[in-house]
Amino acid sequence: MTSIDVQDLTKEYGSRRAVDHLTFRVEPGRVTGFLGPNGAGKSTTLRLLLGLDRPTNGTATIGGRAYADFPEPLRAVGALLDAGAAHGSRTARDHLRVLAASNRLPERRVDEVLEETGLAPVARRRVRTYSLGMRQRLGIAAALLGDPPVVLLDEPSNGLDPEGIVWIRGLLRRLAAQGRTVLVSSHLMNETASFADHLVVLGRGRLLADLPLREFIDTRVQPSVRVRTSDPAALHAALARHGLRADDSGDGAWTVPHARVDEIGRLASEAGVPLLELAAREGTLEEAYLDLTATEAEFTAQHQEA
Amino acid sequence: MPFAPALRSEWLKIRTLRSLLGSLSAVLLATAAFSALAATDSGGADFDPLYSTFFGVNFGQIAAIAFGTTAMSAEFRGGALRLSLAAVPDRTRWFAAKAAAVAAPALAVGLLTGLVGLAVGRAVLGSDGPGWGEGLRAAVGCAVYLTLMALLAAGLTAVLRSGVATLSILIPFLLIVSFVVGDLSGGVADLLPDRAGQIALHRTWDGTLGPWTGLAVTALWTSAALAAGAWSVRRRDA
Repeated sequence: MTSIDVQDLTKEYGSRRAVDHLTFRVEPGRVTGFLGPNGAGKSTTLRLLLGLDRPTNGTATIGGRAYADFPEPLRAVGALLDAGAAHGSRTARDHLRVLAASNRLPERRVDEVLEETGLAPVARRRVRTYSLGMRQRLGIAAALLGDPPVVLLDEPSNGLDPEGIVWIRGLLRRLAAQGRTVLVSSHLMNETASFADHLVVLGRGRLLADLPLREFIDTRVQPSVRVRTSDPAALHAALARHGLRADDSGDGAWTVPHARVDEIGRLASEAGVPLLELAAREGTLEEAYLDLTATEAEFTAQHQEA
Repeated sequence: MPFAPALRSEWLKIRTLRSLLGSLSAVLLATAAFSALAATDSGGADFDPLYSTFFGVNFGQIAAIAFGTTAMSAEFRGGALRLSLAAVPDRTRWFAAKAAAVAAPALAVGLLTGLVGLAVGRAVLGSDGPGWGEGLRAAVGCAVYLTLMALLAAGLTAVLRSGVATLSILIPFLLIVSFVVGDLSGGVADLLPDRAGQIALHRTWDGTLGPWTGLAVTALWTSAALAAGAWSVRRRDA
């Protein structure tokens, strides 16, 4: 099993610190979402992992080895960094053949990944004629070429159409289910929530969070319950007896913060409050993320004052 | 990782780009066409039938430079270099494979160009034309010279990370600076990469450099450009 280990990784460009003492580990068998706003250091971290940029300090290893030490790295690690990396005048098939030749991969793999990414019918067209979504698929095909146990994808859903987004979600789940280590960077919250099991969150080059998706949301966002009733006064009275309150949602319904749906259901039934609607409102990754960045901003502000 | 897969990959890159195959054929066509033109004007006291036969190299070398430049500059667009180095992380090996993949077809086309040029020159000039001995020497010299110029351009492109920048330095240099400076003075000007290398295309020479020492001087320039290119690829973030 191959995991990714980032140890005290730091990268400075002049005086700007793009990655700041980053330490985390990406485990196999699950999809790890690599989250953070643009410029948080996600792409830099991926380039450092691939040995493309030189770290100022620290190490990034895959299965305990530096990327450059793999004799045929495409068989160990597949990466999508830039969808624009393929030359526009080359055909998709030739682009993949060039990569396959460099790592002595059989030509059969080229046709297999073209098939897998849905590019087989257009494989002999020049990349110049491709849409952004098709280039993205070609980049993913290149990442899968060596059937690698580790897959790194930088913003893979960029430019994909809705069908493509559903496809990539399934692909990522499938790769993780096969026991591979999958690290996918994104700045899109809802998209990441749809495929990630685990999260590594960056902000201005530093690690903000490294924990399972569900836990990240649950610790940051309190669940609430949406209630609609024909007798608001009775509802309020019943809630007040249990130390709860209901806020007006503005559309004729009420929101009970910090509550579970089964708790409110039982409570309303005991008090004989007629319910028209009762629904749980789970926190979203977006809310959790905004909560995290708000705390982070506060923390930074305090530090600057001190 | 052995060298052969990296070389095969780089060679496949060249074979699968039409523009590169185009500039290789332009080396042959430009040299042959301008040599044929030059050979029709065989007057003058200092007429050198051999140089007249290979005069077209002045134009063919532009195509050779375009070839070396585009083969390398394709790596500096849209993150292509990152993809190449992700596949071949040993940067020295990668750069050597790239240079070899540029040199081999340039040498082959250069040799063909030299032989075609010689045949055309002998046909046009008839009895005034160059002999086989000096002709073959010049044909081989022409092939080596064109290869060295393509590699010089490739090395410079790796340093500048831009094909446009390389061409806007090399082409004015070859077309203007070398002609002007070359006519003004002997000595130092003979050590310029194009002047030194083209001695091999002349029947007689009067400087300290001969055909092979001249090509050796050009090779020094090319080695410097390649070394700087390799250093730049190794040292800088991709």
